[in-house]
Amino acid sequence: MKSYSNQRKVSLFFRYLLLTILAILWLIPILWIVLASFSYNDTGFISTFFPEKWTFQNYIGIFTNSQFPYLHWIINTLLVAIISATLSTFIQISVAYVLSRLRFRLRKPFLQIALVLGMFPGFMSMIALYYILKGLNMLNLGGLILVYVGGAGLGFYVAKGFFDTIPRSLDEAAELDGATKWQVFTKIGLPLSKPMIVYTALTTFMAPWVDFIFSGIILSTSGDPKTYTIAYGLYNMLSSSKGSATTYFAQFVAGCVIIAIPITILFIIMQKFYVSGITAGADKG
Amino acid sequence: MFKRKGHVPPKASYKEVWSKGDAADKLSFFFMGASALKNKQWAKGLSLLISEIVFLVWFIFSGASALSMLSNLGENKTKKVVFDQAQGVYVTKQPDNSVLILLFGIMALFLVIGFICLYVTNLRSTRANYIKKRDGKHIATNKEELASLLDSRLHATLMFIPLLGIILFTVLPTVFMISMAFTNYDRQHPIGFSWTGFQAFGNVLSGDLAGTFFPVLGWTLIWAVAATATTFLGGVLLALLIESKGIKHRKVWRTIFIVAYAVPQFVSLLLIAQFLDAQGPLNTLLQNWGWISWPIHFIDNEAAPWVARLTVIIVNMWIGIPVSMLVSMAIIQNLPQDQIEAARIDGANAFQIFHNITFPQILFVMGPSLIQQFIGNINNFNVIFLLTGGKPMNNNYNGAGSTDLLVNWLYNLTFGQQQRYNASAVLGILIFILSATISLIAYRHTTAFKEG
Amino acid sequence: MSFFKKAALSSAAVLAALSLSACSKSSSSSSSTADKKASLTLWVDTEQVSYYKDIVKDFHKKYPNITVKVTQSPNGSANAKTDVGKDASKAADVFEVPNDQLGQMANAGYINPLSPSDTANIKKNYVSQASKGVTWKGKVYAYPYAQQADTIYYNKSKLSANDVKDWDTLTSKGVLATDFTNAYTMWPIFFSAGTTLYGENGESLKGSTFNNQNGVNALTWIAKQKSNKGVMQTSNALNQLKKGNADAIMDGPWNAANIKKILGKNFAVAKYPTVTVGGKKKQLEAFLGIEGFAVNSHTSNAKAASQLAAYITNKKSQLIAHEKAGQIPVLKSAVNSSAVQNDPVAKSVIEMAQPGNSVLQPKLPQMATFWDGAAPLISGTYDGKIKASQYKAQLAKFSKKISQK
Repeated sequence: MKSYSNQRKVSLFFRYLLLTILAILWLIPILWIVLASFSYNDTGFISTFFPEKWTFQNYIGIFTNSQFPYLHWIINTLLVAIISATLSTFIQISVAYVLSRLRFRLRKPFLQIALVLGMFPGFMSMIALYYILKGLNMLNLGGLILVYVGGAGLGFYVAKGFFDTIPRSLDEAAELDGATKWQVFTKIGLPLSKPMIVYTALTTFMAPWVDFIFSGIILSTSGDPKTYTIAYGLYNMLSSSKGSATTYFAQFVAGCVIIAIPITILFIIMQKFYVSGITAGADKG
Repeated sequence: MFKRKGHVPPKASYKEVWSKGDAADKLSFFFMGASALKNKQWAKGLSLLISEIVFLVWFIFSGASALSMLSNLGENKTKKVVFDQAQGVYVTKQPDNSVLILLFGIMALFLVIGFICLYVTNLRSTRANYIKKRDGKHIATNKEELASLLDSRLHATLMFIPLLGIILFTVLPTVFMISMAFTNYDRQHPIGFSWTGFQAFGNVLSGDLAGTFFPVLGWTLIWAVAATATTFLGGVLLALLIESKGIKHRKVWRTIFIVAYAVPQFVSLLLIAQFLDAQGPLNTLLQNWGWISWPIHFIDNEAAPWVARLTVIIVNMWIGIPVSMLVSMAIIQNLPQDQIEAARIDGANAFQIFHNITFPQILFVMGPSLIQQFIGNINNFNVIFLLTGGKPMNNNYNGAGSTDLLVNWLYNLTFGQQQRYNASAVLGILIFILSATISLIAYRHTTAFKEG
Repeated sequence: MSFFKKAALSSAAVLAALSLSACSKSSSSSSSTADKKASLTLWVDTEQVSYYKDIVKDFHKKYPNITVKVTQSPNGSANAKTDVGKDASKAADVFEVPNDQLGQMANAGYINPLSPSDTANIKKNYVSQASKGVTWKGKVYAYPYAQQADTIYYNKSKLSANDVKDWDTLTSKGVLATDFTNAYTMWPIFFSAGTTLYGENGESLKGSTFNNQNGVNALTWIAKQKSNKGVMQTSNALNQLKKGNADAIMDGPWNAANIKKILGKNFAVAKYPTVTVGGKKKQLEAFLGIEGFAVNSHTSNAKAASQLAAYITNKKSQLIAHEKAGQIPVLKSAVNSSAVQNDPVAKSVIEMAQPGNSVLQPKLPQMATFWDGAAPLISGTYDGKIKASQYKAQLAKFSKKISQK
């Protein structure tokens, strides 16, 4: 019979081995994407793992492409993301706080209606949103921000769950001391919810960078690529006409890699808040 | 103690207010805000009165006609092409734009409902003032009313703008799309269309689209179950592995796996689609190593449907397991260690500990979120759209491929060749009914929902 | 709920509604004023933007009171139907469109017939296929500028001109890469087998004649190609050509420049080979597509837009398109120019454009249903998902589906 420590060592070895294999499996596609961005390509299809011909041309090309203004996309998306994140965070935190800590007559019905509304597929609203924005003559980045912010009110679940975990005794004590509810909100509720604010801000900031459906519907009417955001812009590079998948594919990959880096880094930073958000919310359901 | 809005029945009925109230109270039934104004509640009174005037003006000038046009969605349904001699070109007289008529009609409906609510509120506050006067209680002054916005009515102040946004950008579009399911808005009626009742529903459930609807529905359910279960279990197992005794540098391992989820999906999935192509790098590698002699068709058009579906589920695991792993790790780290130690001392092996302590706890914490994930997977558009585009094509389906979910089919019907907007609206409603039913059944079994 | 919230909510919403109801919702007609200042938008494909900008500069010199902005259309000319259909009032005044979408767009009211003078010009001075291609129910709806038909592009160091004259010879001597999920490329075998799509003129809804033995022969031929060693099914034919895995591909003139780059001095092009279908040797046919520019019926200035469309499809412009992108002109005088006559790609395409070698793309609105259903039918036959015993039934089903109103 093996000694306990030997058994432990063998088990540890196999566990590390398994972890390593899994890690490699998980990273291979990412590795290939990066390699592909460095390969010379004019057929729109890369069939090997390692580039047949290494080149930096794609990275240079994506920034100098006259049909697809990459830099404009980045600036547009940055603008949309910052404004949308600011407004959406304020809205979501307010709504979550109200639903969690205030009591008023229509609270339960609102929660139920919000739940029900969330079950409709997002596509349902697309055509109507398009016409509403068209009526307001806002088929542009401003309208896109409106859409993102307008829907923010329904995304309160995680934040609400977090607020549910803060004991109400704090509020009660403050009110006994004569504070108005607004003062309780600003002086107690908000400071305590810093992790949730960061989480909400980060999620609402990242959303415009990866949305290629709504932004496509709203922005593509004009056909002017200078107004696109990055996700739709990149996506459009491949789909915009008969030969474009061939010509621009390699630059597309380079563009993707460039944009994936900051988003990935942001997400990694955010994962700490992400986890505490989900578990806090899940605790209370 | 939270102040609760009194659930005590009011101390007077409207009849009493009408018969026994003073002139201002009686006036409030017709001119909103009269009672408030008389009591020097300037802000409340003025805003009510102005709202009423604005509403009546709007209603007379455009609201009434918008509502009436809802009945037939515009008179002129056909276009006329006329030759304009003056310029030598043809011009078209377009039919009435039913889309806009429908949209404005619904908006008008919302406004009317909103106004009715406002009117009721007006009556309520009149009655409250009457009761206070009758019983000799203090009537709030203008200043006090305004101050209460930041105190007892804080919920109103904070919820106002979000509510406006939700109504305009979620509720209104949803109602609009629901009503579209009852029209014949499609490729043949792109501008002028009319009400057709349940005809579109008939098409989807028993007509030409039924042969596609039910199989796709079946696959959607199977996919949702498989995707949710595999990512959940995979994540839990992976978390256990990383959190197990002796493994060092946990954060590093965690980050490595998270990268797969952090990369935007439209990047990773589009490129994985090429990676797995019959002539893509994976097949080339496998062939070069001699593992296979013919390329494997994972997700292209020649794949067998079950292979393609399996591949989709596996790729989804690649994306979804890291997230599930994150959450499981957090839960495992917070497990009651003394309980586990006690169990170990009692002789329980790793599997028994997992089965009796760890897993139930994870399930308890993640239960509600699992249900939400399930519903989310029913509507998981991205994975299928970007990875396979619905392929392999299916000859028996109308507008969908073998890997398409209901949402993907909805997208095809709207933006594809067919442009059958009413059918896609029907589909949206059916998806909703599906999600709502499943949620209801699931939540009945979890106590968490009662908390609300 | 607080009255304050309701009050402010209602008034804000009312204000919004007031501003919205100011938008007209009654029937609109496109107004038009001749020779006033006009500002137009032109939609072309991504790669065409640069040279159309030059063409438009010359246009502006000729018509100084018309300014034109050239941009790429959101999803390419192949999706003109959906791009314009999404919101015709916001779409470009003049846009590029392939001829198979004209029927649908005319029925939906997105495009108007051309003026009598422009119609007469097209009928007289353009090759007959082009003029037929843009005619729907007796009226001309677009200004044609290019004809497109698939041809064989091959590596002449691997295959000789004789080899590519017949399908069986070609595939025994080398490898041909093509995509059986592409109905545009593969459906025409049905024409070679002797069937029609929507009748002889392509406008007869119930006139398709492929629900018979000829149709079955076509499907049989497709299924046979699965076991043909010289035929490669691929979604990236160009890549296979480049790597040398394929020696020939079936492609259109829009890719000619790319192929020239890949094959270099081994570049060669030829018309389609003959195939053996139904036991007989027939010419493999292709779809003939006429690419043109149409005027949006919602334009604010129909006359100016027509002038623009006519200008960008005149002889000079067609020759520029040929020089820059290899497009094959359709104006008789342009076709006869030396540049076009000396272009091997143009010669093959023009040869393919002759009746008997190709069939004009029908433009019925039902073409949408056709494209949707033809692809799975063909690819299902190719990879064996549809068995031989099911051919008749599948053809009958498909024929019924595309003949519905």
